[in-house]
Amino acid sequence: MAKLTAKQANELANNFLALAQSIGDYRYTNYDNLSKIQNQNLRESHRRILDYSDHLFTLSATLVLEDVQTSLTSIGAVTSEIKATYKTLQNVQKAINVAASVVTLGASILSKNPQAIADSIGGLVDTWNA
Amino acid sequence: MTKKIKKIGLGLILLTVGLSSCVNLKHVNDFSSSSLKSIKKYEEINYSFKQNCLDNCQDKKINDLSLSAKDCDCRLNEKADSVTLLIYNSVRGYLDGLTNLSNNELTSYKMDALTKVLTEGDFGSIKIEKEQVEAYSKISKILLKAFTDEYRKRKIKEYVLSANEPIKVLITFLDFNLSSNLIGNFRVQKNSIEEYSFELLKDSTLSKIEKRKVIEDYYSRINKIEEKEKELVTYSKALKKIAEGHQKLVDNIETLSKDEIKELLTQYASDIQDIISEFNKLKK
Repeated sequence: MAKLTAKQANELANNFLALAQSIGDYRYTNYDNLSKIQNQNLRESHRRILDYSDHLFTLSATLVLEDVQTSLTSIGAVTSEIKATYKTLQNVQKAINVAASVVTLGASILSKNPQAIADSIGGLVDTWNA
Repeated sequence: MTKKIKKIGLGLILLTVGLSSCVNLKHVNDFSSSSLKSIKKYEEINYSFKQNCLDNCQDKKINDLSLSAKDCDCRLNEKADSVTLLIYNSVRGYLDGLTNLSNNELTSYKMDALTKVLTEGDFGSIKIEKEQVEAYSKISKILLKAFTDEYRKRKIKEYVLSANEPIKVLITFLDFNLSSNLIGNFRVQKNSIEEYSFELLKDSTLSKIEKRKVIEDYYSRINKIEEKEKELVTYSKALKKIAEGHQKLVDNIETLSKDEIKELLTQYASDIQDIISEFNKLKK
């Protein structure tokens, strides 16, 4: 048997709701002309059909997963690629900062100042890890 | 030979400066950031399939004069919420990425640290003129921006084209779940409340004052549900605008730097902003 789709479940839910509304309207209009038993039967049918409709609307919302599976996979792949490109472009700034740290280190080596060399290495490590 | 190299260098700089001035993705960024802001309004809707189930269950308990509120089975509703949330997160993730990537700040690289080191550093016998460093730094910055912006523009084109069909499907179904299924649940709820209220009004054991209270409760609850419905309808309008705007972006992807597409996307961004304001007014 073919499975119900999200759209079909939603359509059924709408049909059940329309039916329930008609039963309700009929009962409200003819309340005084109906016997107690007739009223009770109609009330029960009304409530049950409203429950069916409610259930079908919710079911439809879950069945949507079948319709979006491929799209979820595709958009997930595009989003991952976007993130990778973004990271690459962000890394350009990191490369510039690393270059500055390397030049600082070079200058401190040329100055032959051990403290400056140690500080520059620390700076380079920090930039690299940023 | 040196002259020829200089000419080629100058030509390259002029070309890249020219390219750089063409690539301005601000309009793409305006559209995607407005879309992102409006899609995030989902988190403010403050109502769910599960909440609807709990409300209905509580109503039934009240009408049956029962205290056992623990036996409400809302598992299907929880599943409906998780499916909707999954779709929402995917759309948001994409728009978030597009917003970040189209932000012109991303490729506005800062050369200050390098310039400072080169001008102020002690390189022993090597003398570096401050003016030269600053001039080369400026040129490098322009070249770098031009190349990275071209790369960014090319990548954005590629991503927007690949994402268009799936994003439209996801937005359609996100909208379907909220404005068709959740609003469907609201309509059922309104009918149930009407039915319960009708029954109470026909109850001859209730006094006139009690019946007035029933009517007051009826209108109060219906109004609250309709407020939620309005929020969902407004959110639905925003979703439709995002899908429409994304399609326009794709339709004009080859002329991304032309004024018409800039105007068009700016208009979409502004329309989406208006819908956000409308949504915020409803929340007040």
